[in-house]
Amino acid sequence: MSLAEVITLINDSKLGTALRESIYMYPIVEGIHLVGLAFSVGLILFVDLRLIGIFLRQLPVNQVLKPLRPWLLAGFTVTFLSGLLLFIADAEKVTKIWLFPVKLALIVLAGLNAAWFEYRWGKRLQTEVASAALPAAVRLAGLASLLLWSTVVAAGRMIPYLAYK
Amino acid sequence: MFEHIFNNIQNSGIGSFLGKQNHLLGAIAELLHIAGLILLLASLLVTGLRLMGWGLVSLSVADLAKSTSRFIWLGLALLVISGLILFVPAANIYYPNKIFWFKFQVLLLALVAHFTLYQYVTRSKQVHLWVARIAALIILGLWFSVAFAGRFVGFF
Repeated sequence: MSLAEVITLINDSKLGTALRESIYMYPIVEGIHLVGLAFSVGLILFVDLRLIGIFLRQLPVNQVLKPLRPWLLAGFTVTFLSGLLLFIADAEKVTKIWLFPVKLALIVLAGLNAAWFEYRWGKRLQTEVASAALPAAVRLAGLASLLLWSTVVAAGRMIPYLAYK
Repeated sequence: MFEHIFNNIQNSGIGSFLGKQNHLLGAIAELLHIAGLILLLASLLVTGLRLMGWGLVSLSVADLAKSTSRFIWLGLALLVISGLILFVPAANIYYPNKIFWFKFQVLLLALVAHFTLYQYVTRSKQVHLWVARIAALIILGLWFSVAFAGRFVGFF
């Protein structure tokens, strides 16, 4: 089965058709996707700002990252699941837009950046003291995360714009 | 009365000027609107979680509220400016939209809560945990409802 056939299958599935044709469910899922962003991208933004040195410099990184982690991971789960539903509802239309695979690729890059950060710095930052300047690589990872997630959100907002024009 | 006002807004000098601009301006305004929204909601979320006794507990509510304040105002400023760019040239489209009116009624409540309840719980020395929790729930509930309704406006 080719990719195009899989996409048609998803698009024409019971769930996809029901979501696409419902008056309220589709906007509700869109609303959840947006609100989920405040938890996921919104909270990671503050972690990034801490890494860069713009927010809460008086706290060690670990005291910002650790208590926010469960909330932002929950946010990413909600954003991802609602995004998956939006994809199922509009699989055929959205895959025709060039920006969609670009958005997915940027999400993968942002995820790799976060995984690399956790692997390389996760343990070490637990002993970091608040006043010490963060290594340049850590600040760079924060900046990369900030730019990547911002671009993901921007691409996401432009997708319906390109679809309905 | 409002119908007349909305019509005047759209046909005003700035309304017709914005209406004549490239679609790109609208797209940029949409991007600034969502950027402002994320800044505002996430700032309130960080402070709201702290009020409930979760999140950044190694800081006092007052200190955290001080740190998030500039992001709240930056977010609000972005929202207002981009919102006006979207609204003014298309005021007549929004006038009959019930969700649009609902959004602004809730926004009014959110602003009132922000200047009263939010200021009280983030500045008072001693607030009972449950008072802070309920206040945070009300504040977050109102602002998230504004965002949710905002996403709905375009569908109806």
